[in-house]
Amino acid sequence: MVNAATRPTRADYYQILADTLPKQALVVTSLGNASYLWAAMHHRPENFYFEDAMGLALPLALGLAIAQPERPVIVVEGDGALMMHMGALVTVGAVAPNNLTVLLIQNGVHAASGGQALTNANLDLAALARSAGIARAQNVATPEAFTSAMGAPVDGTGARFLVLSARPDTEVVRPPIAFDPVLTKHRFTAAIGAPRYVPTMFGGGRLQRD
Amino acid sequence: MVASGKQSADPHRPSEILDTLKNLGFGVAIAVPDSWLGEILVQIEHEPTMRLVRATHEEEALAIACGTRLGGLRTAMFVQNAGLLSMGAGMVSLAQRYQFPLLMLVSYRGTVEDPVFYHTPKGRVTEPVLKGIGLAYALADRSRPIGPQVERAATYAEEASCPFALLLSQEDVQW
Repeated sequence: MVNAATRPTRADYYQILADTLPKQALVVTSLGNASYLWAAMHHRPENFYFEDAMGLALPLALGLAIAQPERPVIVVEGDGALMMHMGALVTVGAVAPNNLTVLLIQNGVHAASGGQALTNANLDLAALARSAGIARAQNVATPEAFTSAMGAPVDGTGARFLVLSARPDTEVVRPPIAFDPVLTKHRFTAAIGAPRYVPTMFGGGRLQRD
Repeated sequence: MVASGKQSADPHRPSEILDTLKNLGFGVAIAVPDSWLGEILVQIEHEPTMRLVRATHEEEALAIACGTRLGGLRTAMFVQNAGLLSMGAGMVSLAQRYQFPLLMLVSYRGTVEDPVFYHTPKGRVTEPVLKGIGLAYALADRSRPIGPQVERAATYAEEASCPFALLLSQEDVQW
């Protein structure tokens, strides 16, 4: 990784993401500032915010991409979180959803829990993703490179995996909204028009669209 | 969880499970296999109305299942009870906290009827752990048809907005 002081900030990347986000896109953000800052900069009902469950934003986003194949799904995950569930890379590589973009913030620390050291802060995570079967994986170190990568057309070879070299951001951002998990879920499902469960008196209910 | 109805000849209980999932509109199954689950997962792969996702770890599978359900697909999981033991953090901090209704079909290894002795430690602690983490569950009743029991487990998950685990014996689930 390059010198920490010269890396872009998470906010630099988020501003580009906000400016280029497709209208139909669904965004899943990992715990801590990944969610808090995104809520502060670009809150919308199509955001699904994690508060905890470290390492599970990526696999949840994979499931969402499977269920919503017509929408772009973007997940913001951290390097420390990825290391907790590296197997998810293999599953993303195997499923190869063309509509999934993984933005991996590589800041070299466990930022959400105060900046503790990672087990290894210097991994080539794009190479790791490629080894796991994600062909479209690249390391990104500048805002310009991120803009270019986000503008690249979908080529039908599976998920896009961008490793964003970033400064650690251990100062906790205060989100502008309440992070009620059930409210987050219901707001999200209403925004995408997800079917709801319609019960019957003696079981056998179905999911149906209104 | 006790299904209504008399004892009946049940020609092939794994087929009943799969037929029930299809009838209830389950669109996807997320799985980590064990020896009892191997063939029913292959059968699901051949189903045109269902998709199988093979995960690398049960906690990862749980998160994928939350994502498919969030996106509007009725979702089942197939895991061994070892997976219930290893997914505890994700269960409480994601699936239960966000109230995702998920049907978990679990091969219950390590009971007195399991011929593979090394599963015993997992069988011994499974139900105490499920109670400890507040995961709703039931043991499938082998004297009754399995299809209605799956349906009721699925209904419980939806009505209570939570994951529900149905613990299955070898003859319930091994194809």
